[in-house]
Parts: sequence; C-alpha cells; structure tokens
Amino acid sequence: MKSHAMCSNMVRCLGDGNTSLQKLATSIVFFFCLSDVSCNSVEQKIYVELNNTVPCVRLLNATHQIGCQSSISGDTGVIHVLESEADLEWPLSKGPNPPYMVLLESSLFTRSIMMKMKNESNRVAGVAVVVPNTSPPEFSPHTTCPNENTGVYSDNYGPNLAHCNTTVWNPRGNGLSYEEFDFPVFSLKEDNETEFIKQCYLDHNRAVNGSAPQYPLCAMQLFSHMHAVTNTPTCMRRNDINFSINPEMVCDPLGDYNVWGSIRPYNDTVFGHKENESVVIAAARLDSRAFFWEVSTGAEGSVSGFVTLLAAAQALREVTHEAPPTRNILFAFFQGETFDYIGSSRMVYDMENGKFVIDLDNIHSVLEIGQVAVHSGTNLFLHSDPVSRRNNTVNDEVREELFSSFFVFLLVEPNVSQPLPPSSLQRFLRAQPIPGIVLADHESAFNNRYYESFYDNAANLNLTYPSDLSPEEQLEFVTDTAKSLTDVATVVARALYKQAGGNESLVNNIKADPKIVTQMLYGFLVSSNNSWFQACHKHTGRYGVLGYLGLHCFVFFCLLEPSPPEYYYLLANLTGAATNLTQSQCQKPDELPNESRQMYSYLWVQGIVPPNSTERDSFCVRASVRLTKAVSPAFELGEYASKDYSTWTESRWKFIKARIFLVASRDLEMLTLGVGVAVLFTSLLVTYFISTKADVLFSSTREPASAAY
Amino acid sequence: MNLERLPNEEKLTLCRKYYLGGFAFLPFLWLVNVVWFFKEAFVKPTYTEQLQIKTYVKRSGLGLLLWVAVLTTWITIFQHFRAEWGEVGDYLSFTIPLGIP
Repeated sequence: MKSHAMCSNMVRCLGDGNTSLQKLATSIVFFFCLSDVSCNSVEQKIYVELNNTVPCVRLLNATHQIGCQSSISGDTGVIHVLESEADLEWPLSKGPNPPYMVLLESSLFTRSIMMKMKNESNRVAGVAVVVPNTSPPEFSPHTTCPNENTGVYSDNYGPNLAHCNTTVWNPRGNGLSYEEFDFPVFSLKEDNETEFIKQCYLDHNRAVNGSAPQYPLCAMQLFSHMHAVTNTPTCMRRNDINFSINPEMVCDPLGDYNVWGSIRPYNDTVFGHKENESVVIAAARLDSRAFFWEVSTGAEGSVSGFVTLLAAAQALREVTHEAPPTRNILFAFFQGETFDYIGSSRMVYDMENGKFVIDLDNIHSVLEIGQVAVHSGTNLFLHSDPVSRRNNTVNDEVREELFSSFFVFLLVEPNVSQPLPPSSLQRFLRAQPIPGIVLADHESAFNNRYYESFYDNAANLNLTYPSDLSPEEQLEFVTDTAKSLTDVATVVARALYKQAGGNESLVNNIKADPKIVTQMLYGFLVSSNNSWFQACHKHTGRYGVLGYLGLHCFVFFCLLEPSPPEYYYLLANLTGAATNLTQSQCQKPDELPNESRQMYSYLWVQGIVPPNSTERDSFCVRASVRLTKAVSPAFELGEYASKDYSTWTESRWKFIKARIFLVASRDLEMLTLGVGVAVLFTSLLVTYFISTKADVLFSSTREPASAAY
Repeated sequence: MNLERLPNEEKLTLCRKYYLGGFAFLPFLWLVNVVWFFKEAFVKPTYTEQLQIKTYVKRSGLGLLLWVAVLTTWITIFQHFRAEWGEVGDYLSFTIPLGIP
C-alpha cells in the first residue's frame, strides 16, 4: 500500500505536462510502479509496529471522563522497564531523558504505582502493561461498591444501606478502571514482541554503573487519541452541532440489545398492562468489562449467571409444554449492567411507559441469577432486599419455594439486614416494591477475585480439559464446573416452575442438561468458533466479541444492522421448536395460517452436518424470543446529565497503534536542523551573489551567442 | 498597478475609495491603503493632493490600529476561555478541536 501511495504522489507531482521530458519521466514512474517492486521503505527500517496491543479508551458519563488519552500525534517516550515500586523514581525524578514510557509487569500494575505516575504525568509519556498467561492472586480494577449511585439504596430508601455502608461488595477493587489518565495505557501479551521490546531496552537503555545511558535510546510511541472530552452532555452536544464545516461524531452512547423470551408467547405489537396476567421474571446479566478495551470475558461475573439461566430455560421447555404453569415465566438477559444498569433500567422504563409487552403490575416476582460459580458442596445464598421485605408477604412465599427446591446445595439466607448485591433487581425495586431474590455464591463480599477484570476467564472457573482432547471432543467433555452449574440450573428451573404455579408432582422431573451447559461454557469461554454455535447460528460468519457492550459505531462507520448475538440464537434454540418451514417461509411466516410473526420469532439456523453428507441440515426455529433495545433512557429523553439513569458513552477515535524505534538526543536533532537551515541560507546567499555579479563572473570574452529561448 | 503612471487626481480618488471601503468592516482595505500610499503621502515631494492623501492615510492607519486591537483582544479572550464557556463556546465555534476541552 505504501508503494502505491508513493507512486500516485509521484505521478501527481509530475503533472500532466506535454513536454517530452515529462512524458519520459511519467513513463519511467509507471513502469516502476507496475512492475511490483517491493520497495525497501525507509519507514520499515526505522519503526517496528506492535500488533498485539490493546488500548485503554475513554468513557464519559454525566459528570466525568475516565480512561486514557494520548496526544493527537502519539506520545513518545524512552522505554523503561520497571523493576519494583522503588524503581519508579528513575522515570519520575532521577532519569535524565524524560518523558519515559514505563513498561510494567502485571504484578506492578497496582493503584499506588499508577497514581504516582498520574501525578507526575509530564515525565511519563505512557504505560505498557505486560499481561501474563497466569493470573495474579487477585486483581479487580472496578470500584469497591459497583453501581452505587444507580441502585435502589439511596438517602430515601435504606440510607444506612447505601454506598456500601454495611457490606463492601468488591473489597479487592482498586478503582483503576474509573480513574482518568492523560497518557495512553496499553496492554501487551507475553510473546515475542514483548521480548523484543525488553531486549531493545537492555541493549540501549540500561544505565551502566550509575552513569546515564547514551543516545540513541529505545523509545515507544503509542497512539490512542480520543475525540470526546469532559463529559457526556458536552460530547453529545458536539455530536449534534450541525453548522460546522465537518460535523464529526465524537462519542456514542453505550448500549446494545437485551434478550428476552417467555414460556407463553406475547403479541409483540400489544404493549402495556395485561389483565389477569402474572409473570415470574428470571433475570441474568450478559456483560462485563475490564480496564482495557474489549478484552473482558467475565467468566465468573456474568457467564456463570447467564449460562445457568439458559440451561434452566432449556430444562423447563418440556415440562411447560406438557403441563403449563398458571403464571408465565419470562427469561430476561440484560446487557450493560456494568455501566449503571443500562439494560434493566431501559426495560423498567419501557414497562413504566407502556412500551413493553407487560407492565410492572404484571410482575409477580423476580428471580435473578448473580455470580453462581460454586463448587459442589459449597453454599448458594438467597439475597433479598430488607427494606421491601418488611412490608411484603409474597417475598416469604418466594423464598419458601426456593428452599423447598433443595438439591445439592445448601440454600442459606444471609444476614437479614444486608442489602441486595448490585443486581438488576435493584432497578425493578426503584420503580415498585416487587418481591425478588438474587441467587449468588457469596454471602457478603464477592468471592470473585477478578471482578470486572481481564483475568476473569476460563481459568477462574477452573475450567480445565484433559490435554489430549481435540477441540470437538473438548466441546462435548463435561467438566466439573459444568456439572456444578447444571445443578444450580436444575434448582433454578424447579424453583421457577413452582413459583409459576406449576404442577407440584412434575417438579422432580425437571433436570438441566450438563451437555448443553458444558457446550455453552466452552463456546463462551474457550472458543466461540465451534460446531455447536455454528449449528445454532444463521450464518457461519463472524462471532461477536462477548462481554463488552457491542458498540456498533466506532472509527468511521456504524454497522447499520447489528447481527444478533449468540445468546439470542441460543435462547431461541433452547426454548423454541423446530418447524418444517422452508427458508423463504421462515422469512415470511405471516403468509401461513398458523404462524404469526407478532407472536413468535422465526430464525433460520444452520443446523448440524449429518455424518454422511456435507450439506448442513438447516431448519427454521420458531421461538418466543425477542430483542429489545438496551440504550439508557437518558438518551431517549435527552437528559444527558441525568442522575437516575446511566449516562455512559464511549469516545470515538481514528486509529490506535503502537510502535518502537530508536531516538536520537534532542541536541543532535537541533544540530541537524540548524545545519540544514544554515545550508539553506548559505545557498540563498550564494545564489544572490552569483546572480548580481553574473556579468562579471561569466565574462564577455565569449561571443555573445544568439541564444534563443 | 503602478502609482507612478497615474495622475494625481486619480491617486486621490483611489485613496478615497479604499478609505471609504474600509468602513464596510473591511480593515484590510485600510491596511492596503496605508502600505500602498505611504510613500506617496509622506516621502514624495509635496503636490496639491498630497494633503488629502495624507489625511486619508492617517485615518486608515488609525482605523487599522483600532481593528487590530479589538480583534487581538477578542481572539485572546476566546482562545483562553472557550473551554470554560461550555455551551456558548461550542455554539460560537466553527471547528471544535477533538480530544481537548
């Protein structure tokens, strides 16, 4: 691509002249360009591009900006590999060649070191963190009290429970994700590139016996210039200004889609309160985050919860077809709960304003699956809200149902005065006192040592496979984690069935399928490009990045129609029914007498490849599963400074890259520039003198030639 | 345009046109007036129209200085305080820089 640019520039420079010389030059350039010469570009000799880097980006809310920012032409700094916290004084005060680019091992990526560097940020050009394959003992960059301002507990509602006064939910949290840094912070993997960087440092930048290292020094340049600044109202206002010559979007609201499904279908065009309809809501959250952009997997934080709920939904499919319960069960998967409950606040808002198929008054109770990564033999805890419990007898019934669904786990109630952990149920309670339970594996503080961090991965759930299995065999292998999550799913399914008023005698037949659970765990935590996900999906295309909110607008383009995520297809496959419709009928089911797009969603899925053929066995799935928008109500209402709803936005950027190269000293640079300027002026002077004395220098001993121009 | 070859009356009309034109919020016309007619007004030996030309040049110079002062003050204030003015600053701006307040 470089040589093409060079060639086109050269052609343009030559102009479209008609003289023979220009024609000759143009043809030479064309010949050169067409003959595919691999240009030995000078740039490649200077810079080494770093490819496996992940930046930290800027996020904004109603009042603050968090994250990292670089300058528009990148931040360059001399590399310094930090050995210990005491070594910080070299880049911060002692080192003679500021600014420095500090390379940290993950054990040094702590709050105290980052805060010290933040305070001296004129000597720190940026930070690169090397992320190892093995996790440290604990690390959580989230705050100690997640979502403390948008939950239900406030000065009006349980004031002694607000702001984690009684229980600190995430005690290991160091809050780094919510700090603002004005230098870029990138993460590097522990691979050949990082070794190359460290080698470059050892060769050039080491101080030998206390004397300063000599130029040229090894430097790194990080580009992650973010467009948005200050806070959400400012950046949304700048998005909307339309009289400037180049209107540019600077930020996008965080948001994606919630997925919900129900046992009995609802007409998707009839919104608002439904008479005599009582619904049990089973909720889980889908998303998670990390300090760096888009690398979160949220194994214990969110995957454990929603995989359990998906398995419970599948377990209930048969029994609810045979003996439908009196109340409907609605499975809701909320997206964006990390950022002040985007998904659940949107659903509650829609329910309050008659834009959802049911109303808040239709809700009988809520059962939420929180972090449930138990190991068999340990307890599950039922959290409920103490303030609403005082006035509510339905809550006791709900708890009774759950207690009597005793299976393998000991279901325990924590201290009666303990508040609810951060959960979507809190947003429902903000609107109306609804009885609800949050199921979790922690009694008070989280057991998760890597809450909202990039280490919350398969290893955190102890998801291990025997080493001799192929990927297909690993997909089918039932791990211990899968077994324990299956047990939780069975408990949940039975409790939901009883809560919905189902036939008591059939309860013990409800069992979740461990094979499905292990396939889901493999797909979400190890590799999403597996045969089961492909069979459930509509095309064998790209699988979206899980965990982080699906931001569809960044860099230059917005994906016009986001592809529905895995969980949508999974929920449809697990709760829906296969039909005999052809592909064209599947796209237009309203033409058939018994099918209606208002009641169901019709999805064409790939299906599995039967053993004796190469064609996939595709079919049409009919399921009462829907996607609803999960963008914060603050953006619908235009209240960008709202205190009640989430106002998180993510900045846009043009490009993000990193590279290393050798830098010369400032003196050498100035000297080169000075010599160049001196040469320029000298040549100007010489030319001036020659032109004024031309008649003397080129003297008239020659015949005046009849020169014609 | 070479002023040498113009008769003096035409020089005067030219200078007057530029002087009057500058009142239409066009300080560059005054700048051109000052630079162009400076030699005519102050350096050349006296002729009849030179007094008028001199007054025009002087007044153009004054107007120019006034404009420079006003614009410099406004530009300094705007560049310094645009970020703090928030909404007003954004609506007054033609292009808003990215990534800085």
